[in-house]
Amino acid sequence: MTFFDSEDALQTSLNAFLEEHREHLGLVSPDIPLISNLPVWSNIALIRQYHENMPWEEAKALAVELLERFGMAKIVEQRSHSLNKEELFCVMLMRAAMVREAVVVLDRPFRILSNLPEGCFLTDAFHKVDDLIAEAHIFDYNWEKGRYGATDCAKD
Amino acid sequence: MISVMIAAIGNIGRAAMLGTSSLRGTLAFAVRVFLNFFDRRTYNSASLMVFIHQLYFTSVQILPLFLFVAVIFGFLINGMAFNAVKNMDYLGRLLMGFVVTELSPFITVLLIALRSSSAINTEIAVMKVNREMSTLNSFRIDLIHYLFIPRILNGVFSMVLLTSLFALVVLSTGLLVSSLVFGTSVDTYVDTLLRSTDVLDIVILLIKCATFGFFITLIPIRIGLSASEELTSIPISVLNGMVKVFVAIVTIEVLSSIIRFI
Repeated sequence: MTFFDSEDALQTSLNAFLEEHREHLGLVSPDIPLISNLPVWSNIALIRQYHENMPWEEAKALAVELLERFGMAKIVEQRSHSLNKEELFCVMLMRAAMVREAVVVLDRPFRILSNLPEGCFLTDAFHKVDDLIAEAHIFDYNWEKGRYGATDCAKD
Repeated sequence: MISVMIAAIGNIGRAAMLGTSSLRGTLAFAVRVFLNFFDRRTYNSASLMVFIHQLYFTSVQILPLFLFVAVIFGFLINGMAFNAVKNMDYLGRLLMGFVVTELSPFITVLLIALRSSSAINTEIAVMKVNREMSTLNSFRIDLIHYLFIPRILNGVFSMVLLTSLFALVVLSTGLLVSSLVFGTSVDTYVDTLLRSTDVLDIVILLIKCATFGFFITLIPIRIGLSASEELTSIPISVLNGMVKVFVAIVTIEVLSSIIRFI
């Protein structure tokens, strides 16, 4: 986790980090939305289908398996506009985890999960895909520190 | 008076500059996209899925309306033609030289442009407004490979397939009209059509269809990309795109006619 005092400082550091890890980057950010005309499974599967030419049946099975880990199998065919904030975040995380040896970056996750008081949800979500990701980084503001340190689960 | 004339000439010059710069931009974009047809990375499972969906939206969903229009045109044209022209040879030339090579692609391109070009323009503009292009860039998904080429290939395939279908329906109604009203046999009708068929015309027809399909999908994509990040830019983008598609259709039609008749 890296915290910053200002948006400029965060953005500069984040951009440099993204550029450095471009090859394996899995960015989770409201600035990188889901593709609105694709169902949830396709948003997740797209990365493997494009980069590895994975057949769509196999890619869909992988996406469904990931959604089941999060107990979200019912949203498999839904579009992004019908998802709630938690579902949206989890789908974005699953999509990021689809990158091979993913360096997952959460860019100010509470901009998506604005309704959550603390970061326990984030650590739980990370644990569900930790077999797929190589590194995880969080970029946020200093004044959000409390939301990450407020509970024991943040130590994970 | 002189200052008014100078201003008018200035305006014409500015419009001409704008027009040529837009044309240059479209042609440069067309070349970029065309070169990517030969890039192996274009053809992957994700792009194939987009292509299949687009083909379904463009060529399958339109079929009821398309067949209805083709049958109506078939009966109208054949009814008028058979009524006005009694000479079978001339009739064959009329059907093959005008209906198949000119009318079929024109009606088809109008229907596809009205339906799919506007949809593609809107879709790309909405993606731009929603910043979904950044998503694709972030995951190193090439826009040309994933978004543009499947749509453009679909345009090319749909134009060729639907034009062939239109021509087939019109010629079949022609057979029906000729045999029911004039008692012409199937053999005579087919023989007349075959004698009136010029292979070069068919080749030009296919090239024209492919060119139509290429540009009526490429232009909406390019114009859709020019949308800003404001919602209000979407209708403006679609309006501009559709006008440019119309200009492209007329230009290709005129050029193909010139090539055919020289």
